[in-house]
Amino acid sequence: MKIPMKWLNEYTKIDMTPEEYARRMIMTGTAVEGWENTAKFTNVVVGRVLTCEMHPDSDHLHVCTVDVGQGEPLQIVCGAPNVAAGELVCCALEGAVLPGGTIKKGKIRGVESCGMLCSGPELDVPESLYPHCGDKGIIILNEDYPLGTPAGEVFGLGDDVIEYEILANRPDCLSVWGVARESASVLGEHFVMPEISFKETGKGTFDDYAKVRVEDETNCPRYCARIITNVKIGPSPKWMREYLHGAGMRSINNIVDITNFVMLETGHPMHAFDLSKVKDSTIVVRRAHEGEVLKTLDGKEHTLNGSMLVIADNENATGLAGSMGGEESEIVNDTASVLFECAAFERGNNRVTARTLGIRTESSGRFEKGVCAETCMEALDRACMLVEMLGCGEIVPSAYDHYPSPAPQKVITADANRIRRRIGVDVPTEKMEDILLSLNIDTEICGDTLTCTVPAYRQDIEGEADLSEEVLRMYGYDHIPSTLMTGVTMPGFRNEKQSFGMGIKKALVGMGFFEAQSFSFISPTWLTKLGLKEGDSRLSCVRIRNPLGEDTSVMRTTLVPSMLNSLSLNMNRGNESARLMEVSPVFLPRGEGELPEEHSRLVIGMYGDGADFYALKRVVMCLCDRYGLTPDVQAGGDDYYHPGRKAELSLRGGSVKLGTIGEIHPLIAEAFELSERAYVADIDAEALRACKVELGAVKPLPKFPAVSRDIALLVDEEVGAGTLLKAIYKAAGKLCEDVKLFDVYRGERLGAGKKSLAFSIYFRSPDHTLTDAEINAAMDKIISSTAKSFGASIRA
Amino acid sequence: MQQKIEEIRARALEQLKSVSDSKALDELRVKILGKKGELTGILRSMGQVAADMRPKVGGWVNEARESIESAIADAQKHIAQKELEKRLESEKLDVTLPVESRSEGSLHPMSLVLETLFDIFTGMGFEAVEGPEVEYDHYNFELMNIPKNHPARDAQDTFYVDDNIVLRTHTSPVQARIMTTRKPPIRIVSFGRVYRADEADATHSPVFHQLEGLVIDENISMGDLKGTLDTFARRLYGEGVTTRFRPSFFPFTEPSAEVDLTCAACRGKGCRVCKGTGWIEVLGSGMVNPKVLEMCGIDSKKYSGFAFGMGVERLSNLKFNITDMRSLYENDVRFLKQFRG
Repeated sequence: MKIPMKWLNEYTKIDMTPEEYARRMIMTGTAVEGWENTAKFTNVVVGRVLTCEMHPDSDHLHVCTVDVGQGEPLQIVCGAPNVAAGELVCCALEGAVLPGGTIKKGKIRGVESCGMLCSGPELDVPESLYPHCGDKGIIILNEDYPLGTPAGEVFGLGDDVIEYEILANRPDCLSVWGVARESASVLGEHFVMPEISFKETGKGTFDDYAKVRVEDETNCPRYCARIITNVKIGPSPKWMREYLHGAGMRSINNIVDITNFVMLETGHPMHAFDLSKVKDSTIVVRRAHEGEVLKTLDGKEHTLNGSMLVIADNENATGLAGSMGGEESEIVNDTASVLFECAAFERGNNRVTARTLGIRTESSGRFEKGVCAETCMEALDRACMLVEMLGCGEIVPSAYDHYPSPAPQKVITADANRIRRRIGVDVPTEKMEDILLSLNIDTEICGDTLTCTVPAYRQDIEGEADLSEEVLRMYGYDHIPSTLMTGVTMPGFRNEKQSFGMGIKKALVGMGFFEAQSFSFISPTWLTKLGLKEGDSRLSCVRIRNPLGEDTSVMRTTLVPSMLNSLSLNMNRGNESARLMEVSPVFLPRGEGELPEEHSRLVIGMYGDGADFYALKRVVMCLCDRYGLTPDVQAGGDDYYHPGRKAELSLRGGSVKLGTIGEIHPLIAEAFELSERAYVADIDAEALRACKVELGAVKPLPKFPAVSRDIALLVDEEVGAGTLLKAIYKAAGKLCEDVKLFDVYRGERLGAGKKSLAFSIYFRSPDHTLTDAEINAAMDKIISSTAKSFGASIRA
Repeated sequence: MQQKIEEIRARALEQLKSVSDSKALDELRVKILGKKGELTGILRSMGQVAADMRPKVGGWVNEARESIESAIADAQKHIAQKELEKRLESEKLDVTLPVESRSEGSLHPMSLVLETLFDIFTGMGFEAVEGPEVEYDHYNFELMNIPKNHPARDAQDTFYVDDNIVLRTHTSPVQARIMTTRKPPIRIVSFGRVYRADEADATHSPVFHQLEGLVIDENISMGDLKGTLDTFARRLYGEGVTTRFRPSFFPFTEPSAEVDLTCAACRGKGCRVCKGTGWIEVLGSGMVNPKVLEMCGIDSKKYSGFAFGMGVERLSNLKFNITDMRSLYENDVRFLKQFRG
């Protein structure tokens, strides 16, 4: 909200620099965003053109002498077509700073020019502030001013305008009076309300002119109205235009300006109807009919629903209550009688309507935050007073006021000791009273009990806690001491899940991976691009009803596409390699109206710099080893992997699925714009956590030597080395300590489709030195067992 | 005879001087002291020496042998030394040859900051807790004293799943979940992702992280809040860093305060980072609104509490001078490689 300092000073005294004022307001809870002078120029004065001759060397420039009320008249070259001798003009003197730059003495086509005669746009003076100022060429002043008068005075510019950010709990401060009142309390000054009075000079009474019917009292708790006759539409006086301009509003005409002025000053949005255009002179406040169509002032058509509150005549909706009037009853130049409306509309209903229709006006904004019903009539009277002041109409005696259930006066009792305990500051009870009184909160003390009567406009104050904030903010937040909590000592810790997640990440960091963070919502097309088949549970996602866009509209059920997207970005930016990982939840829908399951997963992605299937497998196996696990690895996995380079990992004999690893399928890579081979692991982090083996007792070091034997087995290409290794280990019996693959050989001599796998087998007994016989027996078992299960033969 | 022995000895010692490797030395040793060596030859021809001279000759030979052996041992030592020097010289490396200097990756900057925050708050007796990111409106708004159509909802543009389920707009619903299920004393920090319907740009992200603290006990005051945050500020940015409280409004706290920390970049002198004010706005906080306590089933007459919350991105952006929020979620390795830890 923007308020000119001068306007505030009509009702209180702010006698300090904007800096100091802003500081004091900020430290008591009114956020000041900044301030700005309304005059965008300096050193521009009123002058009179004495002579005006054609420039000797130009067909459109004039050489003028201008009297600026000091010293010799200035010679100024001016190109405006409307410059003429005798006119009163705005003259920028040498050194003047204008929005377009600084004015310097200089020669224009050989003729010296000592300043500039200014147009409206050159001074950033809008039409609304000085009619016809932008018509053609320079501003010709149509009133008399002493020569040398600063131009700011002519246009009512030069004041500081303060910009506030009013907190959601203080809608009362969305007004000049509200801010002036708050400023007065903060600065220890008085807030002086104008005395509101006017003469009712119109004929008859309200009822002779109009009827009002409020059909929805819940959403319209109060409706006040007045009739103005003999209206003379015209421009508003300069002071009013100046204030409106400073507050960021455009001047329209006197009646409309009065409604806006009153809204800014009192916080009460008002509306003016051209009474002659209100059908049957009847105003009905009701809910819209489902599907009812309304054309608002801005020319837009809206289709309404049954929850929206409208202003209507006997048949049709003519305006949206609290948001925008209708086109039909708009104030025009020949409007003769006016109905002023000042009502209170319920904030929630107003907010929903404005949101649904996408309407945002000064008026709707105030109703959404809450307008005080108690002071409607005061605002309406202020408008009447202005009508009288501006002489633009006659006020008809009696007002319409529908206020069926006035809000009861709010009285709060509070305990001063509890307030002191809450704020931690030892504010004496009497001081509390002073502070609350300064905020117009009528306070009586009895011992340590405060009985406070809260003014109606302070809708935010509901109990002792609110009072404690009022006391503290006025006493000063800088008085809050720094104390340490007493009470029970509590252990601070992270739970096992949090530590585990961090453990995974740190282990991978140790293996050269960088933690990625990607959005939890993705495009549903990513799942299609991943080639997930119909029926895949990952295609069923939690949908966001109001996403920023389709590409961020579903909560992800897999981390893989996000990872592919990150890898793609790195490839496309020319990064030679990347090692990325992310631990994040996926969102798996449960039932309608239920929260989804948030399941923690780990995704690893890599390309370049030696990345291949085995490198990825190694990373995953090392990670599992950290938790005492050796997953079973079998060919298989999602279709988005290369069919020959993918594996499924499982634990506990296949009963726990740990995840999948593999190279991304060329077609999927293409879909995600991956220009290089990429490797991805998709791991169920919660399964890993559930299965992890805690560290246990250590084994004593062996006392007897180990014996090793090597064996090369000839098998079919299809036999997996890892599978064979496990079989050997099993067949070798309990004396076998370890089996290691040390060579894979393929060659013509072996025959097509054959390979030789060479293993070292280590034997050891805990209680004696092994004999040849024992080892030979074990080796025989290995040979016969692998021959039987895999058709393996000893390679000579 | 004595002269002959002496000659052998002198010659041997002379020859030793020019021997420069262990092979030549060995040959020399064999030539003189070996089974067929010159000196051994004398002993062998002892039969031709008169019997009474034999002990004497034997003595001369032994004397010569000892002297030669000792000389050979010296030479051997010398040669070994030379040979070692030669080997070491030949094994010299170019130590300036570049090597891969990085084997570790790094946590994301946000995690790095979160780790620091966790360490600070768990050290102060706060338990770290989590809650769902897709959350009931009830916990996210209602129990936080933000009823439907309340203007405070405007400040938090919300993603809705349905009428009653939202993507949480802050980590506060975790507080509500804790307050409705535990009895005071409560001392927790909750953290995680939160969501607001803001288009991503340099200063906004629809997904970001918050860390929030909550303390509920008997006799908790605004002073305890300040004390806690002062301690936090010192642990985060070092001694001399303090907090400044400014009145503010949050529906779930009363009184409420925006909290500034002394600008860590200039230590409060005023600089570009703090726009000359010496303060950096970091936190929102306040005394838990008694209405919130009551809604969560905690006796507000007996217990009071404070809560505070901060944006983790704000802290990481300040710490690492990150000027574009989007870089946090792109995962460009050139960005990520600038972090360690």
